[in-house]
Amino acid sequence: MSAPTKRHLPLLLGYNKTKASIRGKRRKVEVQLTSMIDMFTILVVFLLEAFSADGQIVTLSDALTLPKSHASTPVKLKLEIQVNEQVIVVDGDPVVEVSPELLSTGNSIPALVSRLREHMEYNRRLRGTLTEEDVKINIQGDISIPAILLQRVMASCSEAGFATQNLEVIKQEGGGGH
Amino acid sequence: MAQAASGRSRRLRKPEMLDLLPVMNLFCCMIPFLLLGASFLQVTVITMSQTEGIGAAGSGAVANLARSEEDRLQPKIIMTDQEMFIGTVAGTAHVCFARMESLRGQQVVTFDFDSLKAKATEVHHLLEEAYPQIDFHKVTILTVESTRYENIVNAIDACAAAGFDQPGLQVAPSAAVESATASVTGRSSS
Repeated sequence: MSAPTKRHLPLLLGYNKTKASIRGKRRKVEVQLTSMIDMFTILVVFLLEAFSADGQIVTLSDALTLPKSHASTPVKLKLEIQVNEQVIVVDGDPVVEVSPELLSTGNSIPALVSRLREHMEYNRRLRGTLTEEDVKINIQGDISIPAILLQRVMASCSEAGFATQNLEVIKQEGGGGH
Repeated sequence: MAQAASGRSRRLRKPEMLDLLPVMNLFCCMIPFLLLGASFLQVTVITMSQTEGIGAAGSGAVANLARSEEDRLQPKIIMTDQEMFIGTVAGTAHVCFARMESLRGQQVVTFDFDSLKAKATEVHHLLEEAYPQIDFHKVTILTVESTRYENIVNAIDACAAAGFDQPGLQVAPSAAVESATASVTGRSSS
């Protein structure tokens, strides 16, 4: 019995290959990358557009949905109040629980005022003096909170000395900005 | 009879291939870096003006300040549970009726903010024509207690598109707002 030829070895790579393909093995196989490069270029341009050198300076809570707006004023890092239908949170700490009584009158909320004054006093001691930037505050409100709750929070901010209140919104593309 | 191509002309006809592999490698490094740095939600702010209502509820200082001409003439967007008005010193005009919309399985009140934008633009033009020396930016959103925050922001947006980009907020009891609007529009409040 003669030794099996290379061509008929069943378990070797190259089995079932034609002579022509075996001959062409030495040729360099080139993958066509052009279409992939095109795709990557589009992706890189899109990501460069979305790239923010500052990073996300505000933390959005899962417990609230911010309203959308065409406003284009960028957010700056300030003391933050988060308001939803259950609780009012100052700088990450729950301060006031939202109850039906809280939604019945339009005055400031004493517990919130006291907490905000503490922050203001801390800033004053830390820096010696308060600048215009120190009396600004950011309010993150859930889309479903009633106007009375927002008004009470804003009134509390005014009473505590935070003269400028910024409402945080999600920027909506298209249309006129302000 | 055509001559056989020389070796030089064959070389010329051979297509040149760019080596794109380094570009691919660069892109593969850039994409994860850019993905980490990308922010797909851009948070912006609406700066609220101090209004008399808020000042009065707060320190009370704002209420004592002499109001400027712009303050006196600034329009008010009045939102009740049923309809929306735009009011100026010259009078109050109906903008639209409230409508119910389903949002995440809940029925919520909403308004036609395009109508508000059109009316506010009209008011802005009229004010500018009547008082060319004043630059009008201020507007007050006067609402009842139950108005949703989303509607307030949409109203602020519509006013900003019309040129009133310094919004203030006032909240009044439903009965007070309804009786005030009924008196200026000549309807009987029930």
